[in-house]
Amino acid sequence: MAASAQISRLHPIISPPLASRKPLISFSRFSPSFRCLSSPLSLSRPKTLTKPSYRNRVRASIRKLSESESIPIAKVPEDLDASIPAAAGVYGVFDANGELQFVGISRNIASSVDKHRKTVPADLCFSVKVGPAATATADRTVLQSAWKSWVEEHISATGKPPSGNLQGNYTWTGAPPDLRLTPGRHVSLTVPLEDLIDRLVKEHKVVAFIKGSRRAPQCGFSQKVVGLLESHGVDFVCVDVLDEEHNFGLREKLKSYSNWPTFPQVFAGGELVGGCDIISDLAEKGELKAILQK
Amino acid sequence: MASRAANVVLSRANRMRQTLQSALEASVLEIEDVSYQHAGHAGVKGDANETHFNVKIVSSKFEGQNLVKRHRVVYDLLADELKSGLHALSIVAKTPKEIGS
Repeated sequence: MAASAQISRLHPIISPPLASRKPLISFSRFSPSFRCLSSPLSLSRPKTLTKPSYRNRVRASIRKLSESESIPIAKVPEDLDASIPAAAGVYGVFDANGELQFVGISRNIASSVDKHRKTVPADLCFSVKVGPAATATADRTVLQSAWKSWVEEHISATGKPPSGNLQGNYTWTGAPPDLRLTPGRHVSLTVPLEDLIDRLVKEHKVVAFIKGSRRAPQCGFSQKVVGLLESHGVDFVCVDVLDEEHNFGLREKLKSYSNWPTFPQVFAGGELVGGCDIISDLAEKGELKAILQK
Repeated sequence: MASRAANVVLSRANRMRQTLQSALEASVLEIEDVSYQHAGHAGVKGDANETHFNVKIVSSKFEGQNLVKRHRVVYDLLADELKSGLHALSIVAKTPKEIGS
């Protein structure tokens, strides 16, 4: 059931299907995030599809970013369908100054752009360039290659990736959902809770065990930690220790697992970094990002 | 002067002070009960009485210990309190050098 953990962080997200999945411990989330200090990418060329498309504007392979024309994002939803294709492919969103903010891929570009239009500030989400795939059922690897290619193109032109694709930037993709250790109390554990905790902190780079959810922390210390991590652009996931349905017993078990009696608790690289005091202290000293993302 | 009931009669803050002072020989030890700030928040059973404290300790015993270690030392010393209703601690743990004295 575990999704492949070896999928690299460079692999982009496909627009999620209608029903949202319950995020279990084995849920791996891909995001079109781009590490600032990334190792060199190998440029893979988009696959050339041999079947010619009926739309003469769409070429056999997904066109380059620089070859795409800019389409303004309409304020009114009715105009959207006409100008932006509801096709699978890669797209780039530009701000009001004409700077590329984000490159994403989607099974339905029009729908993804519409979603951004509703959630992202208008000055960041001003116009879009699209690279539709030739077929609706284009292979995921084709889309991913196109995504990589567009981002690389942008880096060659400007020297850096689009800011919306940087790790820890949730403007376009939204924050990752809170993790749950179990599907619910109705399912009995087959492994000890400690093992689940252990796996969780090792599978994710930064984990914050907090009281309440990421969007609605129920304790001032937890809220402060979430705020600090987000303002420093840290890519992290949260676990709600007050969730008795999905994380039953976590609150007590975690105290003995970490040998730490209070919450929140922040783990990085599988090890406890500390609670609110320590995180605040690191933030004040300017060391927070370094400690968490090494 | 201490009767056998003395510790029960002493407030949590005073018990904490005794424990921390004797173990850490602190040059500065400030303990503040801030439970009222957290009254009614999730996870606090019953009323918020002696549940949240701010603790500031300056001790040379913290030399060479990183923050996590220092906090653990304090938590271990206060283990009994943590089991009996102490809910959260805000800890500032420094060495005399760090505060410039």
